[in-house]
Amino acid sequence: MNEQLQHISTNELYERLEDPDLKIVDVRPVDAYNGWKLHNEVRGGHIKGARNISAKWMNYIEWIEIIESKEIKPEHTLVVYGYEEEQTVKIARQFLRAGFPNVRVYNGFIDEWSPNTNLPMEYLPNYRQLVPPGWLHALLLQKRVPEYSNNRFVICHAHYQNRADYEKGHIPGVIDVDTNWLESSKTWDRRSPDELKKEFKSLGISHDTTVILYGRFSHPTNDDPFPGSSAGQLAAFRCAFIMLYAGVKDVRVLNGGMQSWLDEGYEISTEEVEKRPVMDFGAPIPSRPEFAVDLPEAKEILKTDDKNLVCMRSWPEYIGEVSGYHYIEKKGRIPGAVFADCGSDAYHMENYRNLDHTTREYREIEKTWAKVGITPDKHNAFYCGTGWRGSEAFFNAYLMGWPRISVFDGGWFAWSADESNPYETGIPKR
Amino acid sequence: MRVILMKREFRNANDDEIYMHINEIQDRIIEEMSARDDLTDKYKYIIDMAKGLAMPGEQLRSEENHIKGCQSSVWLKAECKDDKISLWGDSDSLITKGMIALLIRIFNNQPAEQIMQADLYFIHEAGLSAHLSPSRADGLAAIINHIKTSVKDTMHA
Repeated sequence: MNEQLQHISTNELYERLEDPDLKIVDVRPVDAYNGWKLHNEVRGGHIKGARNISAKWMNYIEWIEIIESKEIKPEHTLVVYGYEEEQTVKIARQFLRAGFPNVRVYNGFIDEWSPNTNLPMEYLPNYRQLVPPGWLHALLLQKRVPEYSNNRFVICHAHYQNRADYEKGHIPGVIDVDTNWLESSKTWDRRSPDELKKEFKSLGISHDTTVILYGRFSHPTNDDPFPGSSAGQLAAFRCAFIMLYAGVKDVRVLNGGMQSWLDEGYEISTEEVEKRPVMDFGAPIPSRPEFAVDLPEAKEILKTDDKNLVCMRSWPEYIGEVSGYHYIEKKGRIPGAVFADCGSDAYHMENYRNLDHTTREYREIEKTWAKVGITPDKHNAFYCGTGWRGSEAFFNAYLMGWPRISVFDGGWFAWSADESNPYETGIPKR
Repeated sequence: MRVILMKREFRNANDDEIYMHINEIQDRIIEEMSARDDLTDKYKYIIDMAKGLAMPGEQLRSEENHIKGCQSSVWLKAECKDDKISLWGDSDSLITKGMIALLIRIFNNQPAEQIMQADLYFIHEAGLSAHLSPSRADGLAAIINHIKTSVKDTMHA
């Protein structure tokens, strides 16, 4: 097979960068693709236009389906690049065996492409807020880590009234945070400023603390009385949104949550970690009120051309087949909202995640959104049933650096509670 | 002699499995999967399973048989006749359909009690736990959970 594997030079790759038949495949970890310099490259991020197919996914039986989902076809010429030649060549051969005849290897990323500012690269604008497991591991070992200059951090294992999820194993040295502490279990909205202040103080979080959140995905099903208790990574995004709204300046999420930590082979602990309260939050709550939208403003958004109310619910919820929740009876959708399909149900975000629960390639999210008019020039307020999926989408837009983003916190729960609010069911007419 | 006669009646390689115990079928699947070293070959094996799955009638794809909570559409139906379970399944995703086909191969014609108690060790030993993505592994767990619930319902019907 050796003779079939050709290399490509930096010059040729540069010249063919806009060639639609050439697909550049970046096999480095998702975090390197997003912008983290995992091998001390001069510039972080990826070669312009590259698609991310992390080497980790090549160990999945269904890896070929990932390739198909990225519209990479056997008739294309593939240019595979990574950090290490051995791994890149191995993956290039895997493509050859799977029926992609035109595969070439590029080995100049670290030495030639990354240092040369004339060669275009791209990255996820706020990649620093989506951290790799190795960064978190080093931070916990009190090593110097890149993209962090603070002297105070708190790491939170997020869950929804499921402390057992923390007790059965968490990243060593981290505290737990129950979403119920930050959102009301009656309205499912963010708690009042005074309540939030009290909770943050007891969690040891002030406005200038770096907070890193993660959760464990443990197979939520609608047969469970509380499916949210098994959707820990969604809970982490929910807490991240509330903290940003309150005024915590540096809120980060572990990309892929507990799964990424375990995939790296890092240890977990069952030892309870004591919270270390702080005297004050140190900033008015909310410091970023524009991040949250409630019912009256949501109605105004629907009437305004350069604003979108973005429905992050699933198709069965959108067409009114199910309400999505045990505690919401009414089925249907908000007329005029833009549908941005989360995935299968209220506790899954498959359309926004990779198969290992890491956040999906941002260009793919951007492309899907652009098709339905969700663009950065507009004010986009994301919502779902009670705000969890809306918070994850909000965080995606936050990572992309979009300037006008919010969560419509009440979502379908608040909208449907008022009988006078209009609603629709069935497949919408185009 | 009886064995030879029975074998003659088998049209397909796996037809004899209707007389086998759940664990014997699992062992056979482990052997078949282990013979395929390459991930692409393992993938093709599962896809072949999907293609070999009996065509379901359109009535199977009903709302009643539709499983909620799977990214790809999945339909499953269990019936109990003469204390044995008959399973039908389908999916719009080939890999999911292949996994359904494996489960049907293991569970079809088995007593409900044994399905309920089955330890599906083939998932680990055939390398599926190591080589399925977390998201697909979640889907497989949801399907198994649904099958066991449906089988339990037929017992109480």
